[in-house]
Amino acid sequence: MSVQIDIPPLLRHLTDGATTAKVKGSTVGDCLNHFVGQYPRTKKLLFDKDGKLLRYVEVYVNKVTTYPEETAAPVNDGDEISIVYVIAGG
Amino acid sequence: MKGITRKFIRINLSNGKIEEEAIPEPVETDFIGGRGFGIHYLYRELAPETDPLGEHNKMIFVAGPLAGTNAQAVSRWMVCTRSPLTGALARSVAGADFGAWIKFAGYEFILVEGKAERPVYIHLTRDACQIQPAGELWGKDTVVTQEWLSQRHGLNTRAACIGPGGENLVKYAAIVTNRRTASRCGVGAVMGSKNLKAIAINAERNLQLHDPEGFKQLVKQQIQMMMANKAFQHHREMGTTGNTENTNELGIFPTKNFRYGRLDDYEKLVGEEYLKHRIGDFGCYSCAARCGKVHRVTRGPYAGAQSEGPEYESIWAFSGTIENSYLEATIAADQLCDDMGIDTISTGNTIGFAYELYEKGLLTKKDTDGLELKYGNHKAMVALVGKIARREGIGDLLAEGTMRVAASIGKGAEAFAINAKGLELPAYEPRGAKSLGFNFATSNIGGSHSYGFATQEIFGALFPRKVDRFAEEENADIVVFNQNNVAVAEVGIACSFSRGWFPQVYDKLLIAATGIDKIAESGYLPRVGERIVNLERAFIVREGFGRKQDTLPQRMLSEPLHTRGAPGEGQTIRNLDKFLDRYYEIRGWTPQGIPSPEKLKELGLGYAVKDMAQSQNVKAT
Repeated sequence: MSVQIDIPPLLRHLTDGATTAKVKGSTVGDCLNHFVGQYPRTKKLLFDKDGKLLRYVEVYVNKVTTYPEETAAPVNDGDEISIVYVIAGG
Repeated sequence: MKGITRKFIRINLSNGKIEEEAIPEPVETDFIGGRGFGIHYLYRELAPETDPLGEHNKMIFVAGPLAGTNAQAVSRWMVCTRSPLTGALARSVAGADFGAWIKFAGYEFILVEGKAERPVYIHLTRDACQIQPAGELWGKDTVVTQEWLSQRHGLNTRAACIGPGGENLVKYAAIVTNRRTASRCGVGAVMGSKNLKAIAINAERNLQLHDPEGFKQLVKQQIQMMMANKAFQHHREMGTTGNTENTNELGIFPTKNFRYGRLDDYEKLVGEEYLKHRIGDFGCYSCAARCGKVHRVTRGPYAGAQSEGPEYESIWAFSGTIENSYLEATIAADQLCDDMGIDTISTGNTIGFAYELYEKGLLTKKDTDGLELKYGNHKAMVALVGKIARREGIGDLLAEGTMRVAASIGKGAEAFAINAKGLELPAYEPRGAKSLGFNFATSNIGGSHSYGFATQEIFGALFPRKVDRFAEEENADIVVFNQNNVAVAEVGIACSFSRGWFPQVYDKLLIAATGIDKIAESGYLPRVGERIVNLERAFIVREGFGRKQDTLPQRMLSEPLHTRGAPGEGQTIRNLDKFLDRYYEIRGWTPQGIPSPEKLKELGLGYAVKDMAQSQNVKAT
């Protein structure tokens, strides 16, 4: 099963400039872990030290938020995962 | 069918005349409220080339149609006037309770004109309005002033006031209510020039809504949506203090007067560090986010300093600008700005500019009253804040803002003045966040992030589409979208942080409050946003602004950005002209940046066509 992750601006310097990645998994958590396996330096900007999704990271599947299920949310073949930083600034 | 009458109060400080006026229905329909009313009335009432600090400038203190209701995050207010800092439009937004109180007094806005002979304040209730002497308040800071007004008129008083900054006509003086500020563009100086110390309102909650029951149901929906929204939850927890890590990782945290995109030890200034100093939080009227985080310093040279803030922009203003990572100094400087009533962004930016001038020998210790303006010297920075507000020594020069300081010093100082149209740039590096940078260039108020914030490139927001933050003319549509979208939010006046919390409810709330059914029509609200931005553009074109002024500081156009290991190393703004060509084309403006007659007529702004034809820009081309 193939899922695409859209890599947000904040992570691209940690993915050698790649803007998308192909990952595998049946949940958002599986897919993100597969992604981190490909680009280990992204881990600090996705998960806290206990392995939980950072509190300011929101994950969308096909532009629909997965909150509050988040990493437990299911994904299907062909889905697109987007990562948004829900930080406020200014 | 509408069942309510919306009105405003006109207060003339020169002759003491006070009168109520109804807002005509076509104006309501075309502009809805808030910022729409602000620019509509300012454009019609202010003659071109009015001296911003003269008797004939006018100030509009406007709330939105949702202010004072139970709806969340929509009780903000703003000031619209001609800016003494830029000569362009001033649109300066603030929070706390004052917007709700304007509505409780029975008005959409307060229009102040003329100039009092001596210091006064306006006392407004639902039944009366009086111009009162304020001699004993003159010289007092914003805390003392608000306490005095509360003691005089009761705890149910809410005031918007100036401090010494406004009295001394600091070009970037703010208006303060509680600890929130309408801080940008020098609106506090306009108030000071009118000898107006404060507007104090006493009023009980009393609102007219077109559909009260429907509104109540919508508020329930709104609150449910917010509680289920992760962005809201994070904002409630951290406010904006969490953004420092993000922008440093992106390489867009302006450092050493915008030479670098990262502060070396920014980890000392991240949200978790501010959390260690947090003693409480503060919320605007009817907003569960309570994003104003209160911090206190308990030891060291700033022991006792306490501020509602600093939020992200002010953290940057007193750190990145002078390469300071001593967190306690940012709290002390933030408190001082709010007490004295000056804008943190312009203050910090101007101080960073002064440090570079000192480094380059264009200012010496003789000029700076003995202060050593060496990077990292936070004590000199805090001292400068007070000097600027009091216009004392070097502060008298710096109170003029970067554009005028550069012109006064000459010798190439212009190259280090980081402003757009004279308004100091905020806490985002244009070379690494180019849609936001081009928003600074084209904004009708100058270098403001909030005029068209680019959430797409800063946070990866998906709507209306993803963007490449280093792209230029390819993102002209995004700049237009963001600017129009902010204008839509500010007819509300919704908090800019809240736009993603309840998108499906906002327009319904507006309909239930105002009875303007047209809002439900597809594309109606975006068209209102476009109308507002176009009329604001017409306002500044009338003042002589055009393509030449739609630019960025020389540094962004010619010097490569250094990011200290973050992405974006070597970026410059490659082709501003190409961007502007595309931006104007999308806007329906001429290549000189002037709204075309066709566009103005299409938006129902035909009355501005003649003004555009008479503008200096058209004559010059």
